[in-house]
Amino acid sequence: MTVLSCSGLRRRFGDVLAVDDVSFTIGEGETYGLLGPNGAGKTTTISMITGVLERDAGEVVVAGVPMSTRTVAAKRLVGYVPQELALYPDLTGRENLRFFASLHGAARSRVEHVLGVVGLADRADDLAREYSGGMKRRLNVAIGLLHEPKLLVLDEPTAGVDPQSRNQIIENVRTLAAGGMAVLYTTHYMEEAERLCDRVGVIDSGRLVAEGTRRELVERLGERDRISLQLEGDLARAAAVAGAVPSVHGVSAHGHGLELVVDDAREALPAVLSAISTGGAVVRAAEFDEPNLETVFLHLTGKALRE
Amino acid sequence: MKVLTIAWNNVHRALRDRTGLFFLVALPLLLVFVVGAAFGGAGTPVVGVAGDAGVLRDDPAVRVRAFADEPSLRAAVEHGEVGAGLLRTGTGAPLLLVRSDQAGQQVRLLVTSALTREANRLSAAGFVAAHAGTDQATALSAVDSTRVEPVEVRTSTTGTALFPENFSGFDLGAANQLLVFTFLNSLTTAAALVEARTLGVTRRMLATPTPAWAVVAGEALGRVAIALLQGLIVLAGSALLFGVRWGDPVGAGALLCAFALVSGAAGLVLGAACRTQQQITGLGILLGLGLAAFGGCMVPLEFFSPTLRTAAFATPHGWANDGFDVLTRQGGDLFSIAPNLAVLLGFAVVLFGLGAWWLRRAMTR
Repeated sequence: MTVLSCSGLRRRFGDVLAVDDVSFTIGEGETYGLLGPNGAGKTTTISMITGVLERDAGEVVVAGVPMSTRTVAAKRLVGYVPQELALYPDLTGRENLRFFASLHGAARSRVEHVLGVVGLADRADDLAREYSGGMKRRLNVAIGLLHEPKLLVLDEPTAGVDPQSRNQIIENVRTLAAGGMAVLYTTHYMEEAERLCDRVGVIDSGRLVAEGTRRELVERLGERDRISLQLEGDLARAAAVAGAVPSVHGVSAHGHGLELVVDDAREALPAVLSAISTGGAVVRAAEFDEPNLETVFLHLTGKALRE
Repeated sequence: MKVLTIAWNNVHRALRDRTGLFFLVALPLLLVFVVGAAFGGAGTPVVGVAGDAGVLRDDPAVRVRAFADEPSLRAAVEHGEVGAGLLRTGTGAPLLLVRSDQAGQQVRLLVTSALTREANRLSAAGFVAAHAGTDQATALSAVDSTRVEPVEVRTSTTGTALFPENFSGFDLGAANQLLVFTFLNSLTTAAALVEARTLGVTRRMLATPTPAWAVVAGEALGRVAIALLQGLIVLAGSALLFGVRWGDPVGAGALLCAFALVSGAAGLVLGAACRTQQQITGLGILLGLGLAAFGGCMVPLEFFSPTLRTAAFATPHGWANDGFDVLTRQGGDLFSIAPNLAVLLGFAVVLFGLGAWWLRRAMTR
């Protein structure tokens, strides 16, 4: 079931076209990563999706309910975790949650629940300004979960946090998605996108330039996985038997090793090892290299993600 | 309901700020006290005495403070710690040390009249003892038991009295402090509106199922609630601590509410117009003190030139000040200050309209 459907989103600020004809969908239980360099239009897109910013053109539908800045019904279905730490530093964690629970119309019991989910129950009565950066980020996420939304929108939720808090946030998102929640996630951390996202969309200069799973994007660029092997024995024979494995597209020898070009390194490796062993050679070491989203991103935008 | 939630959140945060609490509670009441004391206050004058205080000890019109010697008494008078000093040591005539100001002269009158009364009492007792052949103690007892009907003196003021009878220094300053601090704190605490926008909290509120008008109304109500709280603190605190009389309670309450509406609305405009908390602080202090000065909160309107007095009524402070004057000095009631209330409500409507439009624009910018 489609939870979020955006089509033809457009927004202009003066002479700058910040978002131009952006369309994508997110299904139930799916995590969608929106990647792009600074100023690409990610936050503007998210602001239109959450009904905070008026759009010039296009449509946003959340679980069948049209979204706009004036509609209330669609906003009940969306949890928004902004890039900023959008909470009151002079209120405690619990007071912040109670305030936003009132605005969301969520039950008070949800406050205690989300405190437990993000691991802040024991610090709930401390002022938010006394929290570490990671704890503030977790509280920021918790506010978005108060009303059990169908769509969770997270804008850079792990920016500048310690590894422990980052892992906790990522695990929270995974658990929520496994429970059926649709997640829209933007991040500067490519490894996060690779760990979390079922599909990604790459946005650059306001346009969605590519979309799909990591493998789809990699294949679209003509990139393939590579397996490097260190061997003992007849190198020429080993190259011949490995090259005969169906998923292997190329073999080259260098020193005491072979480098194989394959479709999917993880799938091909057992068959390759078995073939080489049958050919009489002994594999001393094996490693594989999968083209990652960083490569895709650089290719599509000409920029590193952190630029 | 959400409007009330947002409004209460504003008040809650204002009350949590300890520095803000000093300006909200302690400083206004402290200034009421300082201004009141400077204009004579309403307390009993203090007389310092080195030696035997005698009859002054039992005089309800003065309070006696004992000093060990003349230098310490003279220093206390010079520093204004006591209204006057009575030096009564040895066998010489008593010496009264007074300051040249109004309070010193008032104490001089009280002390000399008390001492004169005592001298007359002793003379009368001496006369009785000499002619009746009794001892001094019996004669004094006879004098004390003789009731003399006091001479009734009626007084009336010709022309218009600037201040009514029994109008204390505290009565004079309290209304001014109420207006200064209600308006000033409304402007400076509007920094919370800017903070909420810069933190992204306002955008987050707009992403909840809360209409934008409810967010604006909640923030506006929060501003008014803080202003009303500030006014109530000065009004009730000064009445309880210093016995300030505010006149007709219904009129005073209505005037306070109207001025709180104006102050809250002004805070809303400033909070929407400014982009940084530094701008709010600077402009808030400038407008808060400037309008208060023009509105007669620093110097009574009666001392203004005709032109300045006209200009004072271009400010909400001028109308509110005039309203409190009518209530406290002229014994007016709710109907007497109806024009003042109407003008203040007019100020509030215009400022609320402007503030709501501006804040809505700033929230979605």
